[in-house]
Amino acid sequence: MPGQNHSLGEFEELVLLIVAAHHNEAYGVLILENLEEKLQKKVNISAVHVALKRLEDKGFVRSRFGGITHDRGGRRKKLYSITALGKKVLDKQYALRTSLYQQIPKISFG
Amino acid sequence: MKKSPPKRALQFLRWFCREDYVEEIEGDLTEIFEKQYEVSPRAARLRFALNVIRYFRPAFMKSFKFFNPFAMGVLLRHNLILSLRSFMRYRMSFFINLCSLSVGLACALLIYLWVGDELSVDKFHEKDRNLYQVMYNQELANGIVTNGKTPGLLAAELAAEFPEIEYATTATWVEPRTLSVRDDYAIKAGGRYVSKDFFNTFTHPLLEGDKDHVIDDVSSIVLSESLCMRLFNTTTDVIGKQVVLDHEAPYQVTGIFKDVPPNSSWKFDFVMAYERFEKENDWARDWNSVGPYTYIVTREGVDIDLLNKKIVDFATPHRKEGKEISLFLARYSDNYLYGHYENGRATGGRIDYVILFSIIAVFILVIACINFMNLSTARATRRLKEIGVKKTLGASRKALAFQYLTEAILVSFFSLLVAVALVWALLPSFNVLTGKDMSLRFDPSAVLAVLGVTLLTGIFAGSYPALYLSGFNPVAVLKGKLRISVGEALARKGLVVFQFAISVVLIASVLIVFRQTQYVQNRNIGYDRDNLIFFLKEGRALTNPEALITEMKKIPGVINAAGLGHNLLAHTMGTEDVHWEGKMPGDEILFEYMFADYGMIETLGLEMKEGRAFSRDFVGDTTAVIFNETAIEYMGLSDPVGRIIMESGQPLQIIGVVKDFNFTSLHDGVKPLFVKLWPRYAWNIVARIDGSRQRETLRAIEDLYKSFNPGFVMDYKFLDQEYQALYAAEQRVSTLSRYFAGIAILISSMGLFGVASFTAERRMKEIGIRKILGSTSWGIVVLLTSDFTKMVLVAVAIALPVSYIISDRWLDSFAYRIKLEWWYFAVAGVAALLIAWFTVGLQTVKAAAVSMTRCLRMNE
Repeated sequence: MPGQNHSLGEFEELVLLIVAAHHNEAYGVLILENLEEKLQKKVNISAVHVALKRLEDKGFVRSRFGGITHDRGGRRKKLYSITALGKKVLDKQYALRTSLYQQIPKISFG
Repeated sequence: MKKSPPKRALQFLRWFCREDYVEEIEGDLTEIFEKQYEVSPRAARLRFALNVIRYFRPAFMKSFKFFNPFAMGVLLRHNLILSLRSFMRYRMSFFINLCSLSVGLACALLIYLWVGDELSVDKFHEKDRNLYQVMYNQELANGIVTNGKTPGLLAAELAAEFPEIEYATTATWVEPRTLSVRDDYAIKAGGRYVSKDFFNTFTHPLLEGDKDHVIDDVSSIVLSESLCMRLFNTTTDVIGKQVVLDHEAPYQVTGIFKDVPPNSSWKFDFVMAYERFEKENDWARDWNSVGPYTYIVTREGVDIDLLNKKIVDFATPHRKEGKEISLFLARYSDNYLYGHYENGRATGGRIDYVILFSIIAVFILVIACINFMNLSTARATRRLKEIGVKKTLGASRKALAFQYLTEAILVSFFSLLVAVALVWALLPSFNVLTGKDMSLRFDPSAVLAVLGVTLLTGIFAGSYPALYLSGFNPVAVLKGKLRISVGEALARKGLVVFQFAISVVLIASVLIVFRQTQYVQNRNIGYDRDNLIFFLKEGRALTNPEALITEMKKIPGVINAAGLGHNLLAHTMGTEDVHWEGKMPGDEILFEYMFADYGMIETLGLEMKEGRAFSRDFVGDTTAVIFNETAIEYMGLSDPVGRIIMESGQPLQIIGVVKDFNFTSLHDGVKPLFVKLWPRYAWNIVARIDGSRQRETLRAIEDLYKSFNPGFVMDYKFLDQEYQALYAAEQRVSTLSRYFAGIAILISSMGLFGVASFTAERRMKEIGIRKILGSTSWGIVVLLTSDFTKMVLVAVAIALPVSYIISDRWLDSFAYRIKLEWWYFAVAGVAALLIAWFTVGLQTVKAAAVSMTRCLRMNE
């Protein structure tokens, strides 16, 4: 899709990674908890939602409603899964980072 | 306790959040809340609310397009059809609504026209924003006196001294003069002397002539278009032609101005050069005398407060003998509406009546709206099924409310049509009543205002029924179990009470205004003003009044005649330059100045308290003076006759004291008066004629005048008529308030009629049962009437103190006022009650007379 925005912010990348890791099971609160656990800091739920909406707009994730739950005030979960495009972007990003990383000369910080 | 997130926050989220996001966000937030709730419920609630606020940003908000124009169109058409159908079905209430709203709107329209006309007076001058009249305050022993007449030299001096002033002009009052272009043709018209720049200061467009130089010459005269037509039958090529004033002074026409519009407070047909006036009147060059008016136009952007401070003491140094005066600027166009000054402060004026009638207009409209509210809500039971069915089928409350609003607005627009027709038909008589010349004009701003008021009226009238009817519970309604709560019944009764309270206030006011105007006009003012005529001395009457007066007295119907220099209707002239024995500094007071000829006191029929009147039998009466009782009392002179006082440096002997009589409007009390014998300055001739031979006497006087003073038109006036004209404003208020009160009562009773007829109808079954059980028709009437009687009584109880306060304040503006008697209010209350009984009675008697079987057989 030429012309489409394929950029990926740092926070968005983290969210996308978590969505990918919990394929078909990822939803707002789960992503939030995972992030907080890995990053070891407080994250706001609205930030997660903003990132998710942007990812969905860019076509990196897709969403569907889960079944009715008993907690959550009876509200359905919105479950996210990564798209092929999302996966490709992640791969590219990973390849870029790895190749750059490998160029680092072996310096010892003794 | 159930763990649930804070309600308010949740409602807020649901209100603003996009529909496709709200479930996910709400769910996630709730999940977080539930987890935190285990730890700390308080923190969880706080956190929830804060989180909701974080979502309040464009990305998560609903779009603003919440209605679609096509659906609106369909809805509107549907509502219109429904409204029309309901009008057809409930013809009676539609008719009552239409009548009361259209009468109400017509009243409001008429008042709107009148108010607009009042507000437009003197606003037509292009420089209106910067046009000021120079006035002054003078501190005297009995308070500060405000005067609009100024020293004649003021305008030129001010213009020379202050660069802030763009134009300054002096102008005199308007005087009737005799104009002729041929010997055999003379007409009378009002003219004034004005100085250079008059046409720059005021906007009276010149058809001929240059506004900078049109009155440069002392013999120039500028005519109005219509006067020019009357004199020359044309307005072309009249420049340079001669017009003779009073058959002696030739003037050259130097210009023609457009007729002064009706909304100008000064009305005049021609102007002459002020320079000439100055030449003919020595006093006009004296700073101690005041007389002409001074008008200025300030330059754009001048701070008027600053200029006021600069000019305040400007005139005092010039006045060697006169007391100090403080000049101030008053907006020229404000003078008409805010012309009353009391103790140096502006205290309103005609604006009071403008406000009064605007309030009446609003009240009449409100009364009409209340009729609509009462009838629609009272008839709600009839429309219950419709509402129930609609609601079950999914009509939202908003849509229903909208429907009732459409209905109300539609009625008000129908009423507007009727109202415009009514106004169109009534306007000529209204013009006569108000002494104006108004017409229905269709300029955009007026049309917009009228449409706006109509729309507002519709919305206001429809608001309560719309909210009330659309709020019914569909289940209860369809089961036919509508309970009218105490509150609703109370609200409806409250509205009726309000209507009648206003009506009672109006009835009481009408009574009091009427009594007061009667009192003022019939009050003994100290002399008999019936059969007194007066006219201006002109021509030979001016040069040789003695001869005319002698001849007049020979006419059988003329009882007496004399010269008089005062108009007996208002403050004419005054002096504070009077010194007497025992006068302390600061005792200065304004004495009303009256010039008299021999026989003046006898002709007016004034009574002497002490001493004698002027008489030819005594030589040296030219240095004599007569005071009135008030003046003597103020000066504190005991045994005044024979004492010498000083006036303007001249010693005068007091020869008599005249009993107090009224020589100004009865808004003011009797002021100190100073009468001096000075036939030359007695510019009027007054004559008392025999009332039983009025017509032939007047004809004889006119014949005499024609032969005595050929070429002049005698323009006599009756003092009593002029005196009544003095109270024209009060007269008009009296008449208008009578009409408007009548209309308010009419509209209120129309509403009451509707509600009463409805109540009687609804209680039909009850009436039937009561009759079967032996109740008399009279009993039924009492039963149905007692409710309304209570309401009207409550209204009376509320209205009486209110009307007492209002009328007491109005009466305070008169120096001579009637006492407020209890029976004025009793009459007002009883009248309201009788009207209510009559209206309700029409219905209840009909209801009570109905056969009982019919009552019971009726379904529903």
